[in-house]
Amino acid sequence: MAEVHVIGQIMGATGFSESSLFCKWGIHTGAAWKLLSGVREGQTQVDTPQIGDMAYWSHPIDLHFATKGLQGWPRLHLQVWSQDSFGRCQLAGYGFCHVPSSPGTHHLDCPTWRPLGSWREQLARAFVGGGPQLLHADTIYSGADRYRLHTAAGGTVHLEIGLLLRHFDRYGVEC
Amino acid sequence: MAAASPSVFLLMVNGQVESAQGLEEGISQITSKSQDVRRVLVWNFPIDVTFKSTNPYGWPQIVLSVYGPDVFGNDVVRGYGAVHVPFSPGRHKRTIPMFVPESTSKLQKFTSWFMGRRPEYTDPKVVAQGEGREVTRVRSQGFVTLLFNVVTKDMRKLGYDTGPVDTQGLQGPSLP
Repeated sequence: MAEVHVIGQIMGATGFSESSLFCKWGIHTGAAWKLLSGVREGQTQVDTPQIGDMAYWSHPIDLHFATKGLQGWPRLHLQVWSQDSFGRCQLAGYGFCHVPSSPGTHHLDCPTWRPLGSWREQLARAFVGGGPQLLHADTIYSGADRYRLHTAAGGTVHLEIGLLLRHFDRYGVEC
Repeated sequence: MAAASPSVFLLMVNGQVESAQGLEEGISQITSKSQDVRRVLVWNFPIDVTFKSTNPYGWPQIVLSVYGPDVFGNDVVRGYGAVHVPFSPGRHKRTIPMFVPESTSKLQKFTSWFMGRRPEYTDPKVVAQGEGREVTRVRSQGFVTLLFNVVTKDMRKLGYDTGPVDTQGLQGPSLP
């Protein structure tokens, strides 16, 4: 079986209007993929940047997959939340990107979006906080049923992901 | 006579911790806080280490903890940071952000500033792990630049493809 190592970091995020941010991340794969070691999902620390506007998490990702097929190549999905001084959390954006398919180190900039509600909900979000969230998190990385959503852009999450492939040439796969 | 196929690969890393910039109250050549002058800290610290393994899972990371004196002369932690050692052979430069744990209550922030005992990690290796970070609040401040030269042995023979060498034509050690 071919093996894939995803070794890297979620560096941080820019472009969000709130400053204390954290990120919940997860990796979703198809049925042919099996996670041999590593944790498939996690949550970063809450960071308040002192210099500049980029929140840095430096959250390590170290995953080892074995695969029988190319379908369902791993997708990394992210939810960025902000935490205020009272400890309340508010959604800042959803985003996803495919794990790169060529070996080596890659810088990824993952744009995010957040659901807008009706004008009442937008007004409430500006004053009180809160706001609509997705019921099912798999809408972040799947294309079905997205036409119902009305969203606005959030900031960008920056990742540095390194990919190590093993035995792909044995099966004739070029990447 | 056939040679035995390797079961272990080697990773040799050498380089230096080059410089840091922008650390809060760091020691700098210029003490005034003018906006248009760079404040740079240079350590030029050598690293020379070789690892061997059968599995790339748990690839080595460099964890940095930066300490410095505060107003009262106590050594307090100024930042933690971690980065994976690059896995493709060649010369690599990495600039990593540093962060400091922060307490949530203002009273505790004041007493820790006053007594010189800031919140710190009991085990700096926590910085290299992803688990258990959900409950921590940190403040990011400053960057450290590291330069790596990486040499690997037998990774290709074991079937690993590490991708193109991404040196980007780096010259010798330099300040950012």
